[in-house]
Amino acid sequence: MRPARSHRSRGQGLSRVGGLALLVLAARSLPAQAIGQGFELERGGQFAQAAAIYFATLRAEPTNLSALLGLERVLPGLGRLPELLPVAQRATSASPANGALRSVLLRTYVGLNEPDSARAVAQRWIAAAPRDEAPYREWAIALEDQRRHEAARAVLVDGRRALGRPEAFGIELAELAARSGEWEGAAREWAAALSGAPAQLPYAASELGEAPAPHRDRIARVLTAGDPPPLTRRLAGELLLNWGQPERAWAVYAPSLAAPSADAAVAARHFADLAAARTTPAARRVRALALARYAELATGPVAGRARAEAARALLEIGDRVAARGVLEAVARDSTAPADAQALAQTTLVAALIDGGQLGEAAQRLARETRLTEEDRATLRLRLARGWIAQGEVDRADATVAPDSSVEALALKGWIALYRGGLKEAEQLFRAAGPYAGDRRDATDRTETLALLERVAADSFAELGGALLALARGDSARAAAALRHAADHPLARASGRPDILLLAGRVGARLGPVEQQAALAVFAEVVRTDGSGAAAPAAELEWACLLERRLQPADAIQHLEHLILSYPGSAVVPEARRELDRAKGAIPKS
Amino acid sequence: MKRRAFVTAIGRYGGLAAGARLAGILPAIDDGGAASLLLPMDESQGDHLKAYGVTYRVVQAGIRAEWLLNYRGGSFLLPDGPAIRRDASLAGVRFEPVDDAQVSAARGEIEASNMDAVPLERAPKVAVYVPPNAPPWDDAVTMALQYAGIPFDTVWDFEVLGGKLARYDWLHLHHEDFTGQYSKFYLIYAGAPWLAEMVRFNADAAKRLGFETVPALKKAVARTIRDYVANGGFLFAMCTATETLDLALAAEQVDIAAAFADGTPMDPEADRKLDWSRALAFRGAHLEPNPQIASFSDIDGHQVNALARRQPLGAFKLFNFSAKIDPVPTILVQNHRQVITDFYGLTTSFLRERLKPADIVLGDEEGAPWVKYINGDHGKGTWTFYGGHDPEDQQHQIGDPPTDLSLHPHSPGYRLILNNVLFPAAKKRELKT
Repeated sequence: MRPARSHRSRGQGLSRVGGLALLVLAARSLPAQAIGQGFELERGGQFAQAAAIYFATLRAEPTNLSALLGLERVLPGLGRLPELLPVAQRATSASPANGALRSVLLRTYVGLNEPDSARAVAQRWIAAAPRDEAPYREWAIALEDQRRHEAARAVLVDGRRALGRPEAFGIELAELAARSGEWEGAAREWAAALSGAPAQLPYAASELGEAPAPHRDRIARVLTAGDPPPLTRRLAGELLLNWGQPERAWAVYAPSLAAPSADAAVAARHFADLAAARTTPAARRVRALALARYAELATGPVAGRARAEAARALLEIGDRVAARGVLEAVARDSTAPADAQALAQTTLVAALIDGGQLGEAAQRLARETRLTEEDRATLRLRLARGWIAQGEVDRADATVAPDSSVEALALKGWIALYRGGLKEAEQLFRAAGPYAGDRRDATDRTETLALLERVAADSFAELGGALLALARGDSARAAAALRHAADHPLARASGRPDILLLAGRVGARLGPVEQQAALAVFAEVVRTDGSGAAAPAAELEWACLLERRLQPADAIQHLEHLILSYPGSAVVPEARRELDRAKGAIPKS
Repeated sequence: MKRRAFVTAIGRYGGLAAGARLAGILPAIDDGGAASLLLPMDESQGDHLKAYGVTYRVVQAGIRAEWLLNYRGGSFLLPDGPAIRRDASLAGVRFEPVDDAQVSAARGEIEASNMDAVPLERAPKVAVYVPPNAPPWDDAVTMALQYAGIPFDTVWDFEVLGGKLARYDWLHLHHEDFTGQYSKFYLIYAGAPWLAEMVRFNADAAKRLGFETVPALKKAVARTIRDYVANGGFLFAMCTATETLDLALAAEQVDIAAAFADGTPMDPEADRKLDWSRALAFRGAHLEPNPQIASFSDIDGHQVNALARRQPLGAFKLFNFSAKIDPVPTILVQNHRQVITDFYGLTTSFLRERLKPADIVLGDEEGAPWVKYINGDHGKGTWTFYGGHDPEDQQHQIGDPPTDLSLHPHSPGYRLILNNVLFPAAKKRELKT
């Protein structure tokens, strides 16, 4: 008996459903042109003229539902709702069994705030159709339209009792409870309603998801009390996930996937997709767990792909043991599709590289035949970077030697630079172009190219060694090595301020001793670089470091000096922002 | 003397240009010696919001400035000088040195068009009504003032009822709930530490000031604020302060507060008993009786916290007034954009049918039943109401990170706030409405 419902957006509550259903009914019996004129006038905002047409139609055909509904739409705006009552009464008298006409009369009485008359109409309707939900629903809709939530709720509760169906009006009562701010009540109604209407789960999640933050924990407690049925668990899990509690969400959700079924597989995938919209480590973790469960539940060709995808997600969260287990299952599965096999192998080699097992990764890379050429090239680059991180520049070079892609050229440029070959590095970076690798790679290369342009030497082993230390993450050693390199005759000939600036930047992010050295370095660059680009950049770094050291007055002096002294510098906008921050004109971020 | 004082004032605000260590390397600023500096407020401006601060400090130093209404987005004309140039440069405010001939040409254009030049003569003394325990970055006006570098004092119930408003030219109210119901968050956020603190503060203030309940205290504060306007003050309110101030004024003789606020439920006949002749801007509103719904009445068109009635955001358009005939509304809508993206607040907008006939609509959403930005007179003073919480945070939620205005230096929504701040600086006899 309940009208078909779909996932509705907010603001399209009870009344719209009823109204639309009636309009559809009405459309079948349109007596045509006169009523059509009324619609056109109404659409054009000429409500009084439209009302005249509708009244005329009703004089000729008293039960014309379209005309009655038209009047119901236009008369309230004209302040003439009382005029609807006689025509609605006449229509109902002429066709007493017509539920749509009864609805109009009921809504009219409610709209006119005549509760006793409304009740009498509803009770006559109930007496005529004692097993029908419609009278209660229409009455409640009418009350809800007048924002009389409590009265609407009472009608539905009475209806539920009179009909002897505890599940009746569950969705409507849930909506009403939510609108009244009774979120726990809404959660209870939704939990009960879902057993008879599982397709409403997304709508329930959407509605309850709007609950203000203070109510959320109480809603979760309602939904997770005892051992709730699977649909209630899924509702609670979705809500908790959307409210930023992914681990608790998974703990609630996972038991609903215990029994293998197609439904459970779909639910596992759905949870993983929801979690993918969040980027926190906890969300990534539960996504991986959901994908792993999906891989267990999936059957047929999708199972292999699901396992590979789960393994990748597990690797992303650092769970190499679980990932390896899943990957080996794919490798053993001769029925897994070739693309799933390739994905599994790629993921496995990547896991070995990320785990520092470079030798084993290199061996697998060499002997594995199921990898695509594209994946093989990507893994080679990753492996070469791994070797660089371990200081094995020659091995890195050997790994990318056969590769002539722009990404490989860029990596070869770094390798040349770490060996001290500045000129070669510059040529390779230029050959690689500005778009090789990701955005960070490109930015790093551009900054390094700017440094290389200032340091005119063709080769400079001390600088290369310092930059390799930086690439390996040894910042303290890198800062000292860069300062040392800046004292080299090659740097004194050209590029010394830029090398010092880099040394200062690295040192500024270390401990107090290194920071002190960085302050001296920045001072020297500002003093000696004249109108070069390094001077304003160093002064900005200087100011930022002073701010971090809780010396805002000194920082402000430097920032103002920078802005006024180098108005054309690219760092001036950032300096202004820092100045605002130091003065307290914008929040500390 | 005035110019020397201005240099000192700027130094205090911004810190000295350079300490002894840096003095030797600070380059001299080129003082071209033009007659005036034009701060263009069209799309070419580098920082629209800070331009108001630069202008304010000029006027604060006792130097006369001019607001060129509708001229290049509502530009400012300042006398030239190294201190002003320095202040503008540090702030990232773009200025154009203009000689007398260029100024004359601009005046000719202003005379021949829907533009006007309004002298700015006295920096208004600004007060922001804010509880002592309010977080520093949760008020759009406070943020705008701090970003622009315009000094202000904070006042609360003790200062208001202690008669201290008379010291100020301009008073801002933000999301205070003058119905005394703690923004109707009492039940929704029960147990939240910040709410407990708010309740404690207000209850303590009511007791110390001799009121039985917080709603009674807030009604008295609302009346005092209305008197402040009647006596010539400039009132600017945003968000829920707009709606609740008028509700508190209209409810002088009736209980509109829920039981959690004053121990007794709202008078069931409250709607009928409201006396709108006491209110500033609204009339005929119906109260929201449900204490669990954080909505006060049907004044607000968007009803952000009433699930079933919530309306989506659109954009609002500023009206174009006659600069020479209606300088007040013209000042209040100076902007480089005519259409501004809307933003929610506990009170986002004002239903047209709830406005008093004398209200001036400054900005509205075309075709919608609500308006966004209104202004009117009361006694010798002026009030302006601007719906919404934060022009650059459309969906502001409690606990959201504060807006960083250095990322929004051209914010047209924030410009409207700063128009109001500088408005009292305009020479009064020039204002015809």
